[in-house]
Amino acid sequence: MKILVANRGEIAVRIIRACREMEIPSVAVYSDCDRDARHVREANQAVHIGPSPASESYLRIERIIDAARRTGADAVHPGYGFLAENARFAAACRDAGLTFIGPSPESMSLMGSKTAAREAAIRAGVPVVPGIDSPFAGDAPDDEMARAAADLGYPLLVKAVAGGGGKGMRTVEKPSDLPGAIQTARSEAGAAFGDSAVYLERRILQPRHIEIQLLGDHHGTVVPFVERECSIQRRHQKVVEESPSLAVRPELRRRIAAAAAAVARSVGYYNAGTIEFLLDEDGSFYFLEMNTRLQVEHPVTEMVTSLDLVQWQIRIARGERLQIDPDRALTPYGHAIECRIYAEDPDLGFMPSPGLIRGLRPASGPGIRDDSGVGVGYTVPVFYDSMIAKLVAWGSSRDEAIARMRRALAEYQVLGIRTTIPFFLWLMHQPEYIAGAYDTTYLDRLLASRRESFNELDASEEDAAAIGAALDAYLRASTAAAGQNGGATSLLWKRNARAEALRG
Amino acid sequence: MTFEIEIGGRSRTITVEKAGAGVFGVTVDGRRCELDAARVGIYGLSLLDRESGASREVQVTPSSVPGELLITLDGRAVACTVNGRRSRRPGPDGSGSAHGEQAVIAPMPGRVVRILVAAGDEVAVRQGIVVVEAMKMENELRSPKAGRVKEITVVPGTSVEAGRVLVVIE
Repeated sequence: MKILVANRGEIAVRIIRACREMEIPSVAVYSDCDRDARHVREANQAVHIGPSPASESYLRIERIIDAARRTGADAVHPGYGFLAENARFAAACRDAGLTFIGPSPESMSLMGSKTAAREAAIRAGVPVVPGIDSPFAGDAPDDEMARAAADLGYPLLVKAVAGGGGKGMRTVEKPSDLPGAIQTARSEAGAAFGDSAVYLERRILQPRHIEIQLLGDHHGTVVPFVERECSIQRRHQKVVEESPSLAVRPELRRRIAAAAAAVARSVGYYNAGTIEFLLDEDGSFYFLEMNTRLQVEHPVTEMVTSLDLVQWQIRIARGERLQIDPDRALTPYGHAIECRIYAEDPDLGFMPSPGLIRGLRPASGPGIRDDSGVGVGYTVPVFYDSMIAKLVAWGSSRDEAIARMRRALAEYQVLGIRTTIPFFLWLMHQPEYIAGAYDTTYLDRLLASRRESFNELDASEEDAAAIGAALDAYLRASTAAAGQNGGATSLLWKRNARAEALRG
Repeated sequence: MTFEIEIGGRSRTITVEKAGAGVFGVTVDGRRCELDAARVGIYGLSLLDRESGASREVQVTPSSVPGELLITLDGRAVACTVNGRRSRRPGPDGSGSAHGEQAVIAPMPGRVVRILVAAGDEVAVRQGIVVVEAMKMENELRSPKAGRVKEITVVPGTSVEAGRVLVVIE
């Protein structure tokens, strides 16, 4: 087996690491700006696939298949993002005789459609968020819509069928707001997606985002894992994940895991996948969607189960049978937390902060895992997602994991660009986070009312920073002066010393 | 040697004198201490207070904004200028301070997607002025003040570096 990794950044490095551990040769692909990237240097072979914009490189199916042919790779791992959930890519790999390390193109396109996935969940007997069965006709009279809304109950959500990213979505608190909300949702959805169909869904107040990791082999075995809690989100993007969830007791865990496995089995799913649920305050849970790939946050599951999900993906693709004790997969050992480190400036509204990494000291030590895609001297490009690393802390308890995460964040140095490390350091001290008392709306509410910098220093720290700047300027000035006076001599001395060393 | 160091809007006068091998007398706004300072790598400094033994590590690096230094300390980083080198680091809305002629400045490298105003337009404070795309995200930069658009120095499609003036408001 030889695996082509059709991705970049930390996930490409993660997959190459698994290949090395399994003694499988790996092939990286790269765009113009990634020539000196870490995944290129760590793979056994690397192939240039085009200019920096992803649409001309990492998203070009034919170039990736061609790179596999030229290097004799017989399998492709798509990572996450880019082509990972593109059924055409999975099918193109199959047609080219390459093993795609992921699900079949058929289950990928089935579960990739929100409505088809919802129907599959209903057929498998798994609850979905209550909503109307079919979208409203464009000319549906107001009183018909009002009746449907009253049956469902307020508050509710008006959602575009073709929606995504919050577009074409409106919250309605009371009946009098319904017609206006439907109208704006329709025009927004029409403009954004060319499809103005909308439907109604009950709004779950203060839900938690809980997801179940699954592995399925080609022989009909599906194993669900202990849940991941991903409710810490900024504008619908996960920023912190942990496992297990404080809101899930063993009995609930067994029920959610069984529901997830039932959905996967009902569509003949194999390889790694994740089913996302909303968990209501009263303990009821609802199917949200399925991700037909490896998730960004897979390390937290690995940390609490000591299983290597990427290695299992490869073994499954090779046709091996899953040999995982289901109890072990469902029983967390300790607690793990992941912070996604982005090249963004939290003090500028999380504005991207690409640029040259001048220095890097990743955190290490007890219970710490750093999945990074960057190194010193690398310029974080403007072309891709701004995540540069994932910092994972494991502890025998959640408190210990938080303490280790704080320690590791203070240790982690990324010099030259701004990152979200100071934001996480702040978050890890918030009382609600420490108590685990949060839902998917928590972080946006907290950030909306916050004006202070995440990089606040106390008086003595600010003095130390200022003294550091002054001493740095002083030392650079003295070195420059020494260079002017004794520069020639010192250069000669260095050369002689080097010659001596070589002779010795 | 005396330096004016500005961090977070507060300026300090700091005098540094050599007091021995690797030891420096440092006076901050009249308070003097003796520090043992060791270079660590290209940007790092390990500072030990000679009296208390208190240990600090600081990293002093150029940032992507010209004329600005970043001081990194215990997981946080603050912008700093030495001897009044004009930092053009924008405020939280991509703005500078609110008086006189003000520029809307690119806070990061990227590409200008849209310009939301025309020269001569009256604009309100925090009104969207220009949209810059970087890392798959569109970022709307807002006006630092109420005023009139004096000059637009870019066109849609322009690639810009951090610190580049995009629009001038008077």
